[in-house]
Parts: sequence; structure tokens; C-alpha cells
Amino acid sequence: MKYQVITTLSLLFISLAVFAQKEAVKVENGYKVEIKTSAVCEMCKEAIESDLVFEKGVKDVNLDVDTKILTVVYNDKKTTPETIRKRVAKVGYNADDIKRDAKAYENLPFCCKDGAHGDGHH
Amino acid sequence: MFTLRYFIILFFGMLAQFAVAQTISGMVADQNHEPLIGATVLEENTQNGVITNVEGKFSLTLQNAQSNIIISYTGFEPKIIKPSGNSPLHVMLDESEEALNEVVVTGSSTFMDKLEAKHVEIISAGELTKAACCNLSESFETNASVDVSFTDAVSGAKTIRMLGLDGRYVQINRENVPHVRGLIGRYGLGYVPGTWVQSIDVGKGAGTVVNGYESMTGQLNVELKKPENSEKLYLNGYVNSFGRVEMNANHATNLNDKWSTAFLLHSNYLGTEIDGNDDGFMDLPKSRQINFMNRYKYTGERIMSQIGVQVMRDEKAGGQLGYDFGEDFKTSPEYGFMNQTTRVEVFGKTGILFPSKPYQGFGFIYSGAYTDIDAGFGRDAYFGKEKTLYGNAIYQNIIGNTFHQYKTGASILYDDFDEVYADSAFIRTEIVPGAFFEYSYLPGDKFSLIVGGRVDFHNLYGTFVTPRLHTRYQISDNTAIRLAIGRGYRVGNPVIENINTLVSNRQLVVTEDLDPEISWNMGGSITTTLQVGGKKIDLIGDYFYTTFQNQLIYDMDQNSNRVMIYNLNGNSYAHSFQIEAKYQLNEFFGFKTAYKYYDVRTTINGTLRNIPYISKDRLFLNASYATKYDKWKADATLQWFGTKRLPNTSDKPSAFQVASSTPDYFLLNAQMSRGFRWGSIYLGSENLLNYKQDNPIIDSQNPFGNDFDASIVWAPVAGRMIYAGFRYTIDRK
Repeated sequence: MKYQVITTLSLLFISLAVFAQKEAVKVENGYKVEIKTSAVCEMCKEAIESDLVFEKGVKDVNLDVDTKILTVVYNDKKTTPETIRKRVAKVGYNADDIKRDAKAYENLPFCCKDGAHGDGHH
Repeated sequence: MFTLRYFIILFFGMLAQFAVAQTISGMVADQNHEPLIGATVLEENTQNGVITNVEGKFSLTLQNAQSNIIISYTGFEPKIIKPSGNSPLHVMLDESEEALNEVVVTGSSTFMDKLEAKHVEIISAGELTKAACCNLSESFETNASVDVSFTDAVSGAKTIRMLGLDGRYVQINRENVPHVRGLIGRYGLGYVPGTWVQSIDVGKGAGTVVNGYESMTGQLNVELKKPENSEKLYLNGYVNSFGRVEMNANHATNLNDKWSTAFLLHSNYLGTEIDGNDDGFMDLPKSRQINFMNRYKYTGERIMSQIGVQVMRDEKAGGQLGYDFGEDFKTSPEYGFMNQTTRVEVFGKTGILFPSKPYQGFGFIYSGAYTDIDAGFGRDAYFGKEKTLYGNAIYQNIIGNTFHQYKTGASILYDDFDEVYADSAFIRTEIVPGAFFEYSYLPGDKFSLIVGGRVDFHNLYGTFVTPRLHTRYQISDNTAIRLAIGRGYRVGNPVIENINTLVSNRQLVVTEDLDPEISWNMGGSITTTLQVGGKKIDLIGDYFYTTFQNQLIYDMDQNSNRVMIYNLNGNSYAHSFQIEAKYQLNEFFGFKTAYKYYDVRTTINGTLRNIPYISKDRLFLNASYATKYDKWKADATLQWFGTKRLPNTSDKPSAFQVASSTPDYFLLNAQMSRGFRWGSIYLGSENLLNYKQDNPIIDSQNPFGNDFDASIVWAPVAGRMIYAGFRYTIDRK
């Protein structure tokens, strides 16, 4: 029982750490930042990636639909993680602590809305 | 402790799930939860697929557990999903709004519909942007199956060939209406602007009987931008180093929840005189064109309807330097070439849907067109008028279940020709009612068979009976074989089909009453995917044989002052062999290479000879580079043309004779583009190696003399061309 509590607690903390805003790390061709988004499907992935790829200073984008984590490689002389998060919000998705733009969210396709994937149907 | 063990089991369980090939199962149903029998379930980017059984159920082992699967079914919108977890999938398909349209998916490149019985390649919108200029004839630059060739040294026109034979044997449809034919059979590719095109289906060999008897070596279907899903605004500007300027503007919008509309506008202008080879003749004619289309779509509960109108005016002025638009070629001091074509067309289709039975449908496709050509070649004038009415009613249903499908219907063609060339008139009115039936047997993913036939009653040439057969058999997961055989007919238009030879002193001499052209085409293809070092290579090999029961022989060999025109008397055939390999090196680089071999012979004046202007051997090499979402894109196509036979000129004075065959040569086209949120900019070159035919015009000093001939053209006349342009788009919400 004691072990179970510890396991559960440590899992909880690990999860919390995962969900907290990540710092940018230096990589070979710039800086890499991971941003937690509210994306739910392949269409969301395309909407976010196809916009962010053209953002100034952005070198690479990749969104993992399962974890909802958007990984962005950028040039730190041209942009900042904050600017990138704001852009994600403008496309219509939450980006870490930045709330999505309500109007952009309204315009998203149905399958990208909250609850669209709750019924188990594709 | 229990929990820890639980986690370990879970952890390894998840690993195991990724390590082994994943088998997915499920059921495909319509919106009313009725199972769909015979729906296709395909692993994306593979030929690995199955068909749902009588309960609508399927089971598919994925080659790659991360793959998406594509579920499609006649009459429904195809769906792409990413399977996750082990629970059975329940896939619900939505009914397609277009009951009778064959499914056309627009992806990023050319691909083949893997389960289709016919050998059809689809050139998608992404592929089309690789050839930024300018009209349909340039849309095939990155496709190995369609050859684009030059016609003469004056008009600047390009024409296509398939299976080694003239483009007149290819049925070129626009949204399933026969389009580039009749009086626009030669220049008509130039009247379809590239920016209007959404996708092109390239079918090799005999096509479906649904669209008529004319497809003899192939069938192209061009889909234009649609009112319901095109960009809200699309602007394109283009300029090239010859001085050609193009402006294109498309606009599409919903008028209300049922009606939508699209406006498509194209204009081009070339006013400069280019004479790179100093022969006193323009290498390209001056040209200007205005081309406008407005189309509407109505989507109701039971009825889907489209109607549109197109108005086009194209003018060309070429020939000797100094000849200008509007100048009278009969009296001008220069040798003038002019062509003024005006065309007006109303077209549409109406479909009746059966909401509870999506596999059932009724459609009526129609078109009415008026074409007026006013042309001049030196001192000779040509006038042509054509009035065409076309209607095709199609009914589609199943027999029992969707393993057995059929299309049947009736068509009518009214085609009125009124042509005058020099001192001869050519007048005829064709009235051709016809009926067709096409049965498709689709018992599973391994085998399919399409048997079709049509009978047409031609008021001038009697009954045409057109049988066609297509079949596909999947030998293994990666390999499929397709076979096809079919008959085709067409009625020739000798003046228009020789319009490229009119820029010469040659006279057209028709020596007898001309009969319709009749051919049999048979052949097949093998498609397979090889794994090399963890990467896939797609291989396509095909062979087609075309033989003519009757053919119109346009004989340029008998006499260098004539084109003799007569019916085939003897053998005429074409063997065409092509092998193509596609290789995607990584997410950025892709390669495509093809080798083609043609053996094309016909009986000319009693002797079986190779036909002129055909390279026996050709090589094609394409390399493309693209970063994510096409932010950067580059593309290059290198083609090698083997030696070609030229028409006999041995009866000319020796100074004016041409060699009996041409040297071989290379052509290189390349383009790069940079994408933005608003669109893209591009820069490219055609004929980057600057290969030119030396002295393309025989006796250019003396164009009204006996030996002048500007029609013996086998390579580019103008040299390297550099172009640049932009595309600006505002998407629909």
C-alpha cells in the first residue's frame, strides 16, 4: 500500500513536470522548444504545422498528435518561444499557458473542436 | 508491488505493439449504420489493401504500424484515418455530393489509383505547379507517359503524343466531356490555362466506353477548379525572358447554402519579336489571349447540378519579322502567319442522387460550343466554323451487391463543320446517337474486371461497334498486373490536323474519299514495389500495341511540295514499351526515371516505314526536392531524345535538302519556389541547356518560293527561356 502511494505520487509529479512549460534547449541548428497544445487530430497537426513552418525564424515544426506536443526548432536571433506560442494561439489552439484565439477556434473544422473525438468514431 | 508489475507488463505490452506488424480490423458503414460491402481499405503509400466483406467487415495487416489507412467506396467521400489501439474500427463514410464523379484525390504528386482496373495516373495540383507555365500542353512536363512535341517553326504550338502516336488518337476530356477535338484538336491544349486545372487523369490504352468511341491510345480527363472548394481568391502573375506576360485570377464563393460560383480569368500577351537564329522569322508568334469562365454549382438534397460558360479569344501573328496583328497576310510584304480563334461554350451536368442508395445515380452531362477560326499562312487563307452539341446520360447501379456494378446510358453528338482552305471547301454535319453499357465485377481486392461496349450510329459512316475490356489482378501484396483491350474510332479533320504543315509551300492533296480511322489497342502493365535498403522503389512497366484497321495517312515523303492524304492501304502499327521507377530517398528528395521505346510504322505509298518525328528511344529523369509544406521546392527534368526520321526532301535542290534523320539531344527544365503563408514565388527555366534546331526553316530567304518549308521541326526553335512568377491565395473558410 505504501509503495502504491509512492508510485502514484511520483507518477503524478512526473506528469506535472511533463505538463509544465518547457525551456528551450540548444540543438545543432538552433534552439528547440516543446509546446503543449490543444490539438486533437491530423487536421489540427496540419493546421498548426502549415502555419508555423512559414513563421519568421522557424526552421522545423513537428506536432505529435498523441502527446499534443509541438516541437519547434528556431533561430533565437529571429524569434522567441513566446512569439511562437502566440502564433499557435492565433491559429486557434492553446499553447502552454497562452489561451487560443476564440475567433480562430470558431473557424476550425469540426473535427478539431473539443469533444469531436469523444465518441470513438472517426 | 502489484502496481509496479502492472506497469512493467504495460510497458512491454506497449513495446510489443510497436514491434510487430499491426493487424487492424473493423467495419465500414454509411451514416445509417448500414454496412458497405466492397469498400476499399488501403494502407497509405502501399498497394496493401483489402475489400470489406458482405457484412462490411475487414481485417488488414499493416506493413508499417504507423501508417494511415484510406477507406473509399463508390459514391462516398474517401476517408483517411490513423488507426490507434487494438479495438475494432467503426468507420462511417459520408455520401459524396458528386454522385457520378470518379474519386479524384489531390495529393502532392503523381500517383496511380492502386485498385483501379484501368491503367490511370493522376497528375495532382501539386505536380502541376512544377510546370508553372502556361497551359495544358505544358502540364505533362513531369509525366513520363505523355510526350510533348513541337509542331512547326512558326506557330509556336505544342502537341502531345501517347504510345508513340499522334495526339489526335488521345481522347482529351474536360470534366468527362470530349474537349480538345474537332477544329481545336491541334491548338486546343493552349486554350486550357494551367491555373484553371485542378487535376488530370492520364489513362493509357483504350479508355472507358462511357465517354464515347474516340479514345484510341489514351484518355485524359482534365478537372478544372470547382465552385464549391476552390480558393476564395487566387492570383498569378508570370513573366518570361521572351517577353510573355500572363495574368490569372480565380475567385470562388458560396452564394448561399445551395449555390456556389467560380470565376476563372486568364490573359496572356507576347508582343516582342524573337529571332534568335537570325533567319528573319520570329521563333515564336506574337500572341494575345483572353479566356474567361464562370461556373455555378447547385447542391440539393436530391439534385446536384453544375452549369458554366466559357468565352475565349486567341490571336497570333507570326512569320517574318515585322508582320503584325491585323495586317492582311494576302498583301503584306512579309510572309505572315495569323490565327484568330474565338470559342464560346456552355457546359454542365445534372445528377440525381438516391440518398438511401449512394451506389445508385443518374447523371446528364452536356455541352454546346461554337468555334470560329480565321487563319492565314503566307498568301493562303483558312476559315473554319464548328458547331457542337453533346449530351450524355448515365445511369449507375449495382446488381445485388456492390461486387457487381454497372453504368449504362445514351449519348448524342451533333457536330457541324464548315471549312474553307485556299480554294477548297470542306463541309460536313455529323449526327451520332449512341448507347453504352459497362459492367464492373469487383469481387475483392485481388481481382477486378470491367467489360464495356457501345454502339453508335453515325449518319455519314454507319455503325460503330466499340468493345472494351479492362482487368486487374493482384499477384502479391506489392505487385499488380493490368490488361486492357479495346477498339476505337474517330473521324479525321485533315486540314486542321495538318495545320502545322501549312507554313510551307506544300499543298494538301486529298486523293480519295476519306474513311473514319479505326484502331485496336491492347496492352498491359505491371506495377510493383521493391524494398531497397529500407526504402521503397515503385516500378511500373507497360507495353501497348496499337494496330489500325484504317488510318488517315498524312504522307510528307512522296513529294516535298505536297502532303498526300489517303486511307491506309497495308499495315500500320505502334509498339510502345515503357519502364518507370520512382524512388523517395528521404522526406526531401524524390527521383523518377523512365525509359521508353517506340516502334511505330505505317504503310506510306506502298512501303511500311517508320513514321517521321518519332524517337525510337527516350530517357526521362526527374529529381525533386521539397521541405515541409513546400516552403522550399525545387524540381528538374532532364529528357533525352534519340534520333528521329525526317520526311524525305530528296526532290529539292541539294542546298534545301534536310538529313534523313536528326541527331539525338537533351532538354532540361528546372524550377524552384519559395512558399509563404499567402502563396509562393517561383523562378524557372525551360530548355536550360539552350538546345536549338539549326536552320529550322528551309529557304527562309524566299518564303513565297517553291522550296520554303517551316514545318520540318523536331527540336526547340527558340532557345533557353527563364521565367518568374508569383501565386497569391486566400483560402475559403
